[in-house]
Amino acid sequence: MKFHWFAEATYNDLPERLPQKNPSSAVDLPMDLVDSRKVGEHYKMFIRLMQQADTLGWDGLAVNEHHQTTFAMTPSPNLLAASLAGTTENAAILIIGDSLALYNPPNRVAEEMAYLDCLSDGRVIAGFVFGTPMDTAFAYGISPAELRDRFHEARDLITRAWTADEPFAFNGKYNKLRYVNVLPRPVQGRPPIWVPGSGSLETWDLVLDEDYCYGYLSFFGLDNARPIVQGFWDRVQERGFEINPFRMAFTQLICVADSDKEAERDYAEAVNYFFTRQKAPLHYATPPGYMTIASQREGLRRQRGIGADVRQRAANGELSFWEADELGFIVAGTPERVRQRLETLATELHVGQLITCMHMGNLPEETAAKNNELFGRQVAPHLRDLFTDFEDRWTPAVSQQRVAAGAPKITVPAN
Amino acid sequence: MRTLDIANVGTFDVNLWTAGSGSPVLFLHGYERHPGGAPFLQRLAASHTVYAPEQPGYGNSTGFEHVQDIFDLALFYRELVRSLGVERIDVIGHSTGGMVAAELAALSPEIIGKLVLVDAFGLWLDDQPAQDPFGAADEVKAAKWHDPAAIPNPEPTIFVPDPEDPHGEIFFQAQNLATATKFMWPIADRGLRRRLPYVRARSLVVNGASDGLVPTAYAKEFVRLIPQCELAVIADAGHYPFIEQEDEFIATVEKFLSA
Repeated sequence: MKFHWFAEATYNDLPERLPQKNPSSAVDLPMDLVDSRKVGEHYKMFIRLMQQADTLGWDGLAVNEHHQTTFAMTPSPNLLAASLAGTTENAAILIIGDSLALYNPPNRVAEEMAYLDCLSDGRVIAGFVFGTPMDTAFAYGISPAELRDRFHEARDLITRAWTADEPFAFNGKYNKLRYVNVLPRPVQGRPPIWVPGSGSLETWDLVLDEDYCYGYLSFFGLDNARPIVQGFWDRVQERGFEINPFRMAFTQLICVADSDKEAERDYAEAVNYFFTRQKAPLHYATPPGYMTIASQREGLRRQRGIGADVRQRAANGELSFWEADELGFIVAGTPERVRQRLETLATELHVGQLITCMHMGNLPEETAAKNNELFGRQVAPHLRDLFTDFEDRWTPAVSQQRVAAGAPKITVPAN
Repeated sequence: MRTLDIANVGTFDVNLWTAGSGSPVLFLHGYERHPGGAPFLQRLAASHTVYAPEQPGYGNSTGFEHVQDIFDLALFYRELVRSLGVERIDVIGHSTGGMVAAELAALSPEIIGKLVLVDAFGLWLDDQPAQDPFGAADEVKAAKWHDPAAIPNPEPTIFVPDPEDPHGEIFFQAQNLATATKFMWPIADRGLRRRLPYVRARSLVVNGASDGLVPTAYAKEFVRLIPQCELAVIADAGHYPFIEQEDEFIATVEKFLSA
């Protein structure tokens, strides 16, 4: 299986309670909560941690896009990706992803991802995302009624821009371009494309029809994911495609330490910070039209993974560290314990692309670096051979070769 | 249901509520929903033939996917009026329906008799930012009603419950509001200001004095921009003056239509 290093670039110095009437960490939070110098230090820390992950054998380094929020201060993932593409050697640059409807015109995405693919010798994974309601509808003012349509038009434009043999005219509903002739082109031609979703049938069919990797990017663990992931594999089978674990990605918060006791000591505060500082009032989270009626009806019908009450307890900071672990929100403990639990997770969900969240909340850099070290040397090498019977078409060939050549191997104890 | 084919645009099934007899009146409903056979519409129908279509994308009316911009919607209503077989029609537009009615009156003045805009969206004033209709529920409620304690329950609606579909009304409302975002999100301004001077109809702007979604300053701006236009501010009413002050609303509108 593959491991992709990831962290939400969360601001690390928020008060316990957000001061405004609607305690929101997005859209309209008071900007005086945020010190730009600290933000700069923070960016440098994430870059260092990802550079370390590259040397420790991670298959990918994941960056994402969010706007007007302290939860993830990465308005352009392409900028962070650029810092990595030029300073790392092996891992894929997993841009997961650009919110296509927010780029005007969207061939900007084609250009920047191509630049990154050139700079990284062909290590880019192109993630196309709708973007959260807060990002798209509120921060960027896109009408929810038009969001999906704009996304698909942009997707079409970008893919054609990467692959067309000659300049072409694009007369879209939202984009009118007389001469599309993107320069540079990606080294890979059309890079592997990943699209995350939250369980809607439309997105499942899209990824299958276009041979994209599907990401279920929840922070609520195995139990929560089970119904949706099972639904996805049922759909794959129904449509007659191969049940290839590499066509699916999943996120997991990970806290490795030398002992379980140390794990609690080192990570409990940061995990609590992560779950309690990502507040969004209902009207920001669910603007009308963001989800289709069909998806809303499907959501009502589908069996619940983790109930809203438990998520609320997490948001209120009422879950203990080991409760969060038991629920699967985090996978914590010794390398041995983390290894076993991830093997169960990967096997049960049949997921080949694991996005490992190695830094969370206000975790100090040295703890995250140790998390990297323990995971990279004592966890990942034991799980790397899972699913090797399947071909991974969703990770760039160059990064697969380089990581395979350079990643730490299982250390056989002496004697 | 009435089917409307518009060349090069598409086919629309229109749920057209019709009642009464007398001079024809077209009523275009607001952003939340068609009010169904609400008392104020029944009273209008006492002296008019009232045509109250459900906008494409609302309730049972289809074809919203064919609507690319506000001009398509104005074209749709022009063709709908033609299909009624009337030369001219008085138009009452409420909320987003007022926005569309004003567009129609500016773009197809030849089919409009008189124009009544009730708490109409369509303009934006930088120095008077109005409450976001998609903001926090308690703030929207306070902006929408003069007296939030006296909201009719249920609010007038065209929705008909289906015992087979217990969540039907939730999805009815979700779909309506999703459609509304097309022309209201993030600011309900699609350039109407530039076209209002071309309205030729004698016009009346009605505004609930307590409307926080379309404050009276916005109503005054409509009056300033439309050549022959008068203002009627209704006290103790918010975004729905025909519900909160039904008698005064009917008296004001009938007086204007019959003058």
